[in-house]
This record gives sequence, C-alpha cells and structure tokens, in this order.
Amino acid sequence: MAEQDSTQEYRRIYTLNLGPQHPSTHGVLRILLDLDGEYIVKADPVIGYGHRGHEKMGENRQYKQFLPNASRLDYLSGMIFNHGFVLAVEKLAGIEVPERAKYIRVIASELNRISSHLLWFGTYIMDLGGFTPFLYAFDDREQILDILDSVSGSRLTYSYCRFGGVTRDVDSKFIEMTRAFLKRMGTRWADYDDLVTKNIIFIHRTRDVGIIDPELARQYGVTGPNLRACGVAFDVRRSEPYEVYDRLDFEVPTGSRGDALDRYNVRFKEMQQSCRIIEQALDQLPEGDFLTKKVPQKLSPPKGEVYAAFESSRGLSAFYLVSDGSPGPYRCHIRVPSFGNLNVLNEVLPRTLVADAISILGSIDVVIPEIDR
Amino acid sequence: MKVKELEAIMLEKFPDAPLRRDETAMTGALWSIAVPVSGIRDVAKAFGSAGFFLESITALDFEDTFELVYHFNCYEPKSRLVVRMLCGHDQVPPSICDIFRGAGWLEREVHDFFGISFSGNTDMRPLLLPEDADYHPLRKTFGKVSAYHKREEIYG
Amino acid sequence: MFGSEWFRLILGLLIVLGFASLNALFLVWLERKVAGHIQLRPGPMEVGPHGLLQTIMDAVKLMGKELILPAKADKRLFFLAPVLVFMPVLVGFLVLPFGPSMIIRDMNLGVLLVFAFSTFTVLAILAGGWASNNKYALLGAVRSVAQNVAYEIPLLLAVMSVVLMVNSLSFSEIVRSQKTIWFIFVQPVAGLIYLISATAETNRAPFDIPEAESELVAGFHTEYSGMGFGLFFLAEYTNMFIVCAVATSLFFGGWNGLFGISLGIPGVFWFLFKTYMLIFILMWVRWTFPRVRFDQLMNFSWKVMIPISLANLVVTAIVVKLI
Repeated sequence: MAEQDSTQEYRRIYTLNLGPQHPSTHGVLRILLDLDGEYIVKADPVIGYGHRGHEKMGENRQYKQFLPNASRLDYLSGMIFNHGFVLAVEKLAGIEVPERAKYIRVIASELNRISSHLLWFGTYIMDLGGFTPFLYAFDDREQILDILDSVSGSRLTYSYCRFGGVTRDVDSKFIEMTRAFLKRMGTRWADYDDLVTKNIIFIHRTRDVGIIDPELARQYGVTGPNLRACGVAFDVRRSEPYEVYDRLDFEVPTGSRGDALDRYNVRFKEMQQSCRIIEQALDQLPEGDFLTKKVPQKLSPPKGEVYAAFESSRGLSAFYLVSDGSPGPYRCHIRVPSFGNLNVLNEVLPRTLVADAISILGSIDVVIPEIDR
Repeated sequence: MKVKELEAIMLEKFPDAPLRRDETAMTGALWSIAVPVSGIRDVAKAFGSAGFFLESITALDFEDTFELVYHFNCYEPKSRLVVRMLCGHDQVPPSICDIFRGAGWLEREVHDFFGISFSGNTDMRPLLLPEDADYHPLRKTFGKVSAYHKREEIYG
Repeated sequence: MFGSEWFRLILGLLIVLGFASLNALFLVWLERKVAGHIQLRPGPMEVGPHGLLQTIMDAVKLMGKELILPAKADKRLFFLAPVLVFMPVLVGFLVLPFGPSMIIRDMNLGVLLVFAFSTFTVLAILAGGWASNNKYALLGAVRSVAQNVAYEIPLLLAVMSVVLMVNSLSFSEIVRSQKTIWFIFVQPVAGLIYLISATAETNRAPFDIPEAESELVAGFHTEYSGMGFGLFFLAEYTNMFIVCAVATSLFFGGWNGLFGISLGIPGVFWFLFKTYMLIFILMWVRWTFPRVRFDQLMNFSWKVMIPISLANLVVTAIVVKLI
C-alpha cells in the first residue's frame, strides 16, 4: 500500500475504491478516493454502471410507449417524472387538461415527494449508524405507497398520468386515506425531531460538513434542496409554476450555511410543506373529468421542440423533446438534477475525512440511475 | 431584468445571429439564439458574469450537421435562455469548462453519445459508457434508428 | 479427590465454557429481539418459540460455510486472529463473583487479571485486519487499536477509584464491601465513565467505528467468512458480558441486594439480573444513537474522559485519606 517510486521516496497517498458495491453509495456509484491517512486528497466519481440507454429508447418509441421509461429514471420520484414527461408532451402537442386531473396529479406528485424524502431520511441516518429511524420512516412510507397503489396499481414506478389527465379517477377512499395519512404525519414530526434532529451526535456529524457555497452551486448547476440549503430560494414550482401550483400557498424553505445539517433541515421542512400542499389541493379538488377525451391514440405532435422543467425531489429536472411530426420523438433528452449534485463532489470532498464523505454523499441525495439513464 | 440585458448584449455581439423569441415560453425558453462555433465562449462568459447557471448541454444529430444546444437559467422566475450552435460532423467546438466548471461532465456525456470532442477539455474519458467504448450510441448511424432528417425538415 | 482444589478448578472451567457459549448464543438472540422491538417489528419468530433457536441455527449455517482465505493473506495470522479474540475473554470468567462462594478462583488480583486479558482483543483485531490484505480491514483495525488504547485509560482510572476505596483488587472483597450501599451511589462519576468506556472497549455503538457497516463495509472482519466471522461475533458478546459483569461487581453491588435487603433471593440471581440489565441498556443505546465520528471519538476520550476520571481519582484519594 505504501508505494515506493524509483527515488525510494515514501508516498503516503493511497487509493481507496469506494466501490460500486457498498452499503452507503446509493446505487452503483464508484468513487476513486486518493487518501492521505484519513483525509481525502482527490475524489473522482465514476458513473455509468447503470446506463440503460433511455435516451436512445426514447427515439425509437412512440410517446405513449415511453411512459414507463420516465418513471424508471429516478425511481424514487417515479410519479413526478411520469408527471413531467406527460407535461412535456402536452405542451408539445397543445393538449388541454381538465382541472380535476391537474389537482389529482399535484396530490400524487407531492405524496411521491414525501415518500422520496422519507426514504432519504431513513437511509441517511442509517449511513450514520442509527438503524432505527430507517424503520420508522419506512412505516410512514408504506402508508403513502398503499395510497398510491390503490389508485394507480403500482408502488414504485408509476404510469398513472396520461396525456390529457390521469388513468383513473380518485374515489372517496383515496381522499380518506390521504387525509388520515396527513393527520398521522402531523404527530410524527415531533417524534422525528426528538429522535434525530435534536440528537447531539447527529448534529456533530452534520454541522459544517460538506459546505457548498452559492457560487460553487452555480458553477455546477446544483439545484433542489442542496441549492436551497445555501440560501438561494430557487424552486421550479415557484419560478415556472406548472399545473395548479400558482393557486396553492406554500413556502420554499432555505438554509443559510449550505452544510449537511441545513440540507437535512430543508428536506424536513419540504416534507411538511408538501403536506400543506396536499391538504389545500384536497380542499380545492373540483368535480369534473379526469381525462380529456380528444387525445388520439397515436399522438403526432407538430414539428418543434419543448423543454419542460419540473421540480423533482432532487431538484430541477426537465424533458427536452424534439418532434419531427411523427408519433415518436426525434430526440428525447432528460436533464437530471443528480448530475450536477454529484459533479459538485469533485470540489467538496477534498480535504474532508472519509467518514465525512459518507455523510456528505448521503446528504446530497443522489440517485445514480437518474444520472446514468 | 437580466434577460433583457443579455438580449441586448447578444444582439450587440452577434448582430446577424438568428434570435427566436417565445414570449409565452411554451417551449420552455424566452428566446433562443444561434451563434457560430467560435462565439460560444464569449456567450458563456457573458452569461456567467450575469449570474446564470448552465442547466444542460445536449446535441442533435441531423444528416447535414450536429446541433449543440445549451440551456442557461438563472434564479429569477421564467428566465431560461437557449444558445444553439451548428457544428459539422467533424468539427471540434471549444469547451466552456473553465467558465462553468460543471460543463466538464456535460461535455463528456455529449462526447460519449455523439463523438463531438471539445477542445480545451482535458478530461474526455467516457462518462456513461465503458472505458474502452469506441462507439457513439445516439448518432443516427448507430443501432436501431426510426428517423434521420436534415435540420430544415424540423426547424424550417 | 472430590472437594480438592483441582476438582473445583476443572469443574469450574467446564461450567465456564458451557456458560460462556450459552450466554453468547442467548445474547445474540436478545440483541435481535431488542433491536426488533425498538424498530417496531418482532424480530426472529420463525425458528423455535419466538426465535429462541435462531442463533443455534445461524451457528450451524456458519459452520457449514467455506472458510475463504484471501489471496496474499497471511495464513497463520488470519486463522489465529479469531481464536485469539475469543480465548482470553474466557479467562475473565474465572474471577467473576457470581455468588457469595461461587467464584472459580478467588484471586486477590482479580481485577487486574480481567483487564489484562481483555486487552488481548486489541491485538487480535489488529492481527485480523493486517492479515486480511485488505485496505478496508486495515483501516478498521487501525481505528480499533486507537480507540481501544484511548478508552482503556479512563476505564482503568474509574476502576482505580473503586479499588482505592476498598483497598483491594479482589472481586469478592469489593462485592462484600458493597453490602450496605452500592458504589454507584458513592462514585456516580466513575460509574458513568466506566460504562461509557466499556461501550467503547467492546466496539459497540455509538463507538462501533471499527466495524462501521456503512463506512468500511465490515471493518476488520470484512474478509472473514463462516466460523471465523462467527468467532469474532461471539467474542464480542462474551466480552460484553464480562464488561457488564465487572460493572455489576464494582458498582452495582455484585450479588448483594439493594441496601442490604436481599428478599431471600440467592446472590447469584441478583448478580445475573443486574448484569443482564446492564447488557440490555448497552443494546438499547446501540439501537438509538447514530455513530460518533472517529476524530470526535478520540477528542472525547483524550480531552473529556481522561481529565474527568483523573480528577475523580484525585478527589477519591483525598477523601479516602481524610476518612
């Protein structure tokens, strides 16, 4: 391990492979670390282990055949990506969506956002060594999965949204289950606060760890809770409102220092804001159609392009579709937030400890299949 | 407003560059400008000093040319701008990875999928493909392809 | 021959081996049940009533697995390490005061013996980590050595405070002097320091960095499979028992009842009850707190624990001298 070059000099730097199979890298991520004792000198993420060729698949399929692919990009925000793709095609083809469908989609997306953040919360604390909050978070997440399962038929990767609305209408059981879930979560925040947020060991592991300042975030295109933790209040739901977000009242939580603790707090508050959005949407849910009937089966949008941005759990995501008038896209490019979020680690990881690297990686909340597409 | 200032700067630098406006932003951007290959670095510097961030770099493969599409955005509402660049199949455009450090990986990805090299980017290793890959999958001459057009067939 | 010293010793050794093995098996089951219930799930329920036979089945499974030797590993050290980590811990059982006349060998240096032999585990961990020819394992082993050395000192200083009060290193003497009042009420600071250091000595969470599953895959026992891993695992639980038994004897009255009231229950049951209560508390702490970062851990030991335990020792010495 101590390498000796031709001048017989003792080199202290050794390479450690935080390999593709590792309990804490979320997905197949490989980071080549150059270590000096316990300190990281250089970090080089190697990705591509989960590359499935979604963009090429997009070019060879009709629009409706790409619907399942959209969820599988970021499988933790499957509903949000499904929603985003449908939004993009509707913009391209000029399809109107009934009001009721818009509200239903917003409710489903926000439920998905909460479940994604709950999973992040559980796995982050587990990486730090506390095994119990993981199970509490998954207990809550099961409730969400049951709600979404009852209306769409799937638990993780959804094809619930269709061009012009949703597949199936929500019934009173769905609304009851969602309201019961919101009521239950209202009591859980205090539990999570006591168990984790106020825990002195947790605070020591996350305060001033992995600081990203706004200039660094701008250079790398970091978006989402990571950016908001630096103090920049940028949320696509506010800056380019889509669906009915402009009619709903919610805050965009921000941090101040950009460290892991701020990222944790921002995501925590985002979950609470999502609960607020869902409650308002349930109150405002109008009667009406859930799917517009005028959409042809073989949808051929006019020639042109569209870049539809939406806010997934990890940041600003977008579908860039170029149409040549045929039933399938000419180019289907997906902009994913985890790309920039992981890229920024090239500059954040050096000069930190290996144990902090795990904490930083967890707090950034990357999903590798999203990057690899 | 930043967008208006930048529009003025762009029209000054490239007076005869086609600028397509989209007031309602249905396509996602307020305006898109087509610049020559040599001009991308000036454009990037202007956008960088105006506080914009680079959202994505992607490419389109047409029969007669590649087209590089750069999406820029800033933290104000509805401020997305698009910069397009026509680049021949064997041309080597300049890299902007020293102006926007995140462009390094984005250019590596475009190189993986299309084979476009960027001069000035020292790290052109494959990002998503295996290290020994010598093919470029998203080219319309690779694998199963449903359509291959010339640029004017889509954009007129 | 019966009633002679040799017979007593051999009988004691057999009982110790049997008890140690049963104890390790029981503690693994208890850990999984405690973890399960804290995490709102029942834990093992399938094998045997409420999963009681789970550990035995796991041990059988581990014995059937192939013992993988990594390439370029140091063969002798690699197989010696698990044995070395398990054997010295058993020596500690010889001097524990289970009851008023239930010590296998009542040595007047009992306390010293237990701590001298428990330090062997550090050597074994280092041997295992080095011999594996694996960077992760070596990182884990090195961290473990640093952690053990750092926390040995406040541990011994806390014990010294009690020894100063009793004026003897013999376990039965220490337990006898707690007839009226347990030392935890007289020396709360030393008791707390002992318990924290003991958690660190046995590599338990929140100080379980050497085996940090999420950071170093599995720390120093990354490369061990089958019974090698099983021995490390069992040794950890036996070590936990020893450490809690010593805490019971030194601070919680050993086989005495509370304030001299024993309610007619034999001393051995008091001893075991208190020891298992302390073990339960150790497990409870493990499943509640996240892991302390390594440099924070070392800082805590050298900058907080050692000064406090030194101060405690000095105060004890002064008080003992004056009274």
